[in-house]
Amino acid sequence: MRTALLAANFLREHRWPVLLLFVWIILLALASADLGRPRAMPDDVTFYIEQQAIFICIFSAFLAADAIHNDRKSKRILLVLSKAVTRGEYLLAPVLGTVAAAIAYSVLFWLCASWLTDRAALSGANLWAVVLLAIGGSLVAATIALFFSTFLNPYVAVAATVLLVTAPGALHAQRHLWSLWLPGFPILVQIVNFKPALEWTLTWRPLLLTIPQAAFFWAMAAAVFNRRDIAVSVE
Amino acid sequence: MPGVLDYNAITKDYGRPWSHRRLRALDGFTLSLERGEIFGFLGRNGAGKTTAIHLALGFMRPSSGSGQLLGKPFGDAPSRARIGFLAENVALYHRPANKLLLFYGALNGIRPRRLRLRCREVLRQVELEAEANRNVAKFSRGMQQRVGLAQALISDPELLILDEPTSALDPLARVAMRELLLEANRAGKTIFLISHLLSEIELICHRVAILDKGRLLKLGRTEELLISRNRYEVVARGIPAGSFEHAMPQVRGLPLDANLGWNGPVLFTIPVSAQRDALEKIWALGGEVLSVNPVRRTLEEVFVELTNRGNST
Repeated sequence: MRTALLAANFLREHRWPVLLLFVWIILLALASADLGRPRAMPDDVTFYIEQQAIFICIFSAFLAADAIHNDRKSKRILLVLSKAVTRGEYLLAPVLGTVAAAIAYSVLFWLCASWLTDRAALSGANLWAVVLLAIGGSLVAATIALFFSTFLNPYVAVAATVLLVTAPGALHAQRHLWSLWLPGFPILVQIVNFKPALEWTLTWRPLLLTIPQAAFFWAMAAAVFNRRDIAVSVE
Repeated sequence: MPGVLDYNAITKDYGRPWSHRRLRALDGFTLSLERGEIFGFLGRNGAGKTTAIHLALGFMRPSSGSGQLLGKPFGDAPSRARIGFLAENVALYHRPANKLLLFYGALNGIRPRRLRLRCREVLRQVELEAEANRNVAKFSRGMQQRVGLAQALISDPELLILDEPTSALDPLARVAMRELLLEANRAGKTIFLISHLLSEIELICHRVAILDKGRLLKLGRTEELLISRNRYEVVARGIPAGSFEHAMPQVRGLPLDANLGWNGPVLFTIPVSAQRDALEKIWALGGEVLSVNPVRRTLEEVFVELTNRGNST
């Protein structure tokens, strides 16, 4: 109950960037639709889908990484944590809030992508899968960023998150089966390789693993944050 | 039996353990709050008062020592539902006052029906009932501070921890705040109050602690602290003008009635070492001693004396 309240408050505090991104997703869809022509270009539509799905994950990392820093900087955290709220509950709120925003964002993305695949005469049958990947990716990205933000500046925390998720790519980890266990990376690989065609299939394991991975990073974040002096001012 | 709030030899250092620039905010700090009292916590800026409060609320951990809040170790979340806290420079989310109070109350697990009632009640107590639907971002500093107090009171707490609750208030609002605190205390609440307004502390606090550089300089009942054991006030009459000063040049007399002058009662402030001598002089001069009382100082005088002494040692 407390976490739901805090998550709703978190969303309310970040409503303007979230709404701005909703407008952004629609504008990009219009740009990709190539309205001057009878049909949209399939490559443009595929790029739009991949780009937006990744964008949802990055946006989630930014949103979650900023949560503690904002509240500490404004000192609003003091009144919240003077109530019967544990630090773990407090940290769960930005994760839930971010995922709620990502779900809303993904629904809008799904609608736009369905319209675009229709205009490009592509199959929209697998779009649900990329939406699930975007939501799973945001969950992992948000918790990793939140974990890093407990001891790093939010921008550095986002950079560290991006590095952690993408670094295995430099080692060509996707060739190895163990890469399916990495946090975020196999989701990213699936999004990048997504094709709006019937033959494309979703690998479920990395998606299902996002839940225990998110729980792990949240628990790590709570463990670190429990030891932090939150009344000390931040830059 | 544990007090409402107990600090046991707490030391708090800021800065990284390996750094040379570590700052000791509290140094072996021990204190116990008794149930039902209004406790004044004084000290200069940077003395460690706010650090002590933040430790109690679990915002930070002590470097050494331990403490208990309502019988539970510092940082225990459920026990925080039984306290109300108002921070110095209160920072609130930008929402209508009533919605903000409902939010903070719900965080303490108050049921919705009771919470709505409490919300109306505390808004009335802080005289913001008419502004309940206005966004606090549009409030003046003083009004925001009153909302801050309202959120501290929302869960009808056993202990109120208030850090400079009157700093942004005008004189009338300050009087109203004082009445509110006294009323809360009559209702059985313990109040831990930080304020630089010493006259206010003097008026309402049962006990006072003075902190300097993280160390407790003085702790005691307010009345006892204000009484000087070094000087006495003697009121006498029937002493011929000038005769007493002639006998004891170091003591000056102050006629209490300007019209009567030395024919009326005269006040002498006498060091304790000269008290017996002075009384004998008054009798020898044919005077009559009306009263002998220890000098009552203001809290400001006590504070200045103690903190200056602390600095010189």
